[in-house]
Amino acid sequence: MTLASFLPLAIELGPQGFWWMNVLFLVAIYSLLGLSLNLINGYARMFSLGHHGFWAMGAYGAAWFTIQFHGHMPGVPLFLMSCVFAMGVAAVGGLLIGLPCLRLRGDYLAIATLGFGEIVRIAIQNSPREALGGSLGLEVPRVIMDVTRKTKADFRVLMVAIGFVLVALTAWAIRNYIRSARGRAMLAVAQDETAAGLLGINPVRSKVLAFVAASAVAGLAGAVYAHYQGIITPLEFNFMEMVKIFLIVVLGGLGSISGCVFAAFLLIFVEQWLAKLPADAGFFKDWWQVEYAAILVLLMIFRPRGIFGPREITDVWRDLKAKWAKKRSAA
Amino acid sequence: MFFDYLMNGLGLGAIFAFIALGYTMVYGIIKLINFAHGEFFMVGAYVGYFCLRDLDIERVGLPQPLPILLDFFVALWAASLVAGLLAVLTERVAYRPVRKAGRIAALLTAVGVSLLLQNIAVQVWGANPRSFPDPRVFHALDDLEGEAQANYYADREFTTTQGETVTEAVLLISQGDVLDATKRASIEDQGFDEVYERVTLSPKSVQYFVILALIGWTPILWFLVKRTRMGKAMRAASEDADAARLMGININLVVALTFFVGAFVAGVGGVAYIATYGKVEPMLGFLPGLKAFVAAVIGGIGSIPGAIIGGLILGVAEAIIPFVLQEVFGWEEAFAWKDAIAFAFLIVVLVVKPTGLLGKPMREKV
Repeated sequence: MTLASFLPLAIELGPQGFWWMNVLFLVAIYSLLGLSLNLINGYARMFSLGHHGFWAMGAYGAAWFTIQFHGHMPGVPLFLMSCVFAMGVAAVGGLLIGLPCLRLRGDYLAIATLGFGEIVRIAIQNSPREALGGSLGLEVPRVIMDVTRKTKADFRVLMVAIGFVLVALTAWAIRNYIRSARGRAMLAVAQDETAAGLLGINPVRSKVLAFVAASAVAGLAGAVYAHYQGIITPLEFNFMEMVKIFLIVVLGGLGSISGCVFAAFLLIFVEQWLAKLPADAGFFKDWWQVEYAAILVLLMIFRPRGIFGPREITDVWRDLKAKWAKKRSAA
Repeated sequence: MFFDYLMNGLGLGAIFAFIALGYTMVYGIIKLINFAHGEFFMVGAYVGYFCLRDLDIERVGLPQPLPILLDFFVALWAASLVAGLLAVLTERVAYRPVRKAGRIAALLTAVGVSLLLQNIAVQVWGANPRSFPDPRVFHALDDLEGEAQANYYADREFTTTQGETVTEAVLLISQGDVLDATKRASIEDQGFDEVYERVTLSPKSVQYFVILALIGWTPILWFLVKRTRMGKAMRAASEDADAARLMGININLVVALTFFVGAFVAGVGGVAYIATYGKVEPMLGFLPGLKAFVAAVIGGIGSIPGAIIGGLILGVAEAIIPFVLQEVFGWEEAFAWKDAIAFAFLIVVLVVKPTGLLGKPMREKV
């Protein structure tokens, strides 16, 4: 019994529909990455530049697990277990790098985690061909359902649905965590480590917890991504991806959940739309990488706290409504 | 064998040291990891490349090898000056506005500037690596007699089917050819009255040059920082920027000057790098930049002697550790892992001794 039997939908998607499903799936993945990075950089105010490493660990963990147990297990449990395994791998990675490094301050932590991310990539690139595929990449068997020409549309819709369910779950979990006692302790440590320590909070434990949880979510994103792509290569998980994730977090506002998803949509949509344009589409496409970096710099100069700042979209909406109401009553 | 690797390591380490100096000086004053520093290095390398390729200083009518030395001298100065000015411009346009906005904003700006410069370089100069232009020694055709001592070339322009004009070096006389009257006439018929030979620089001579340059630069920087008024202002600003401002020090000027000096020195490293590795490309700055930061941290960030020692240690470690792993422990692929070894080294240093070898311990104010 696979999930495919629950999906006799045979959804019809035109080329346009396929493109949109791809965009939405990537939005879900980058939202997951953004939300988890937001937990580290936005709420806990630690500075990590190694998130792409955890993403890669998750993707490769899931791929390895799937290949090992492919054929020994029915598809859906294998998919779920590979996701759990990927989260475990990334969490262990987060713990290994977090325990020694989280004592470091600000940019030292940033550079140490960046080094870690690069080590992960180099290690995968140099891995033996039969273990992790080396620089040529790894093929992930399709387990959740058979992907044929007929069911390709079903597969994409299913993956988008899974992606957004995970985004919703993560957002919910982060919101509740922030409002829990441990979450408030984490915010206190972010504000002032020494003062929080004097209040009986264990700063190291609080930081490591946030770091490991965020790594696990990044690993989950990697697992789903690997199953969706079907083939993964180490070069996909480069430092540019890290910058992209960071840009999503900052664009949406450090510490804003809805802003993060919104920014992921904005960025991925523009990127994919440009990729769709013909090669001679002119200046805007050719210089996109430059514009990308320029946006980052300008954003930092003019709105260093992101579009929304630490507020949610609902807060922005409420403030705007209050403003309009005030205007109207004045008139 | 071991000595060769040691020299490779020292040469590479000297390049790391040249880059690390800028990192450490800037960090010392405004506590910013200037990610774009590797890109100043890259731009310096490109400027040096263009100077060496296009200026034709080798033609100056002095006995060899003086014109070639002059060539490098001009390339080094141009690379350093352009890198320095670019750094000052970057500081003014991007870093100064975010200096008050917090460390994360500043660091992210630096990452953004780094990507910006990389991608502009890709757009302007193309993403493909270009090979290092060997210096040329020109000879008038009439001066050559008898058996040719080397391969002689001349540049010819031709138009491709796409209508582009391309310059290509044509081999006119191979080494050992006898230059008789018919050959001479056929070359003259093609419209050439002079030919040149290519001088390949041995990596070893470049390594000696880089190490010597580092030895030459160290006292200059030491003098600049310890014995001049500006250096005193720099040290004051890194000690306590607010107090320095109250003492009438123009912090903006000091910061701009620090960026200039740091990138100036990185320009020297850029030319040395392309001369050692034989190619120049837009992504050239990323990895050496990152590793130079590692070097600065190893030596103790903020300390100038620390940057030099850290650079040399990292360079030697990167050459020797894989060598030892390969030769002694029989690990065949050790050299493919040398970047990972450098970063692992960084993490170990950060964890064991975050202040580095010569850094001052950071006191925490509550």
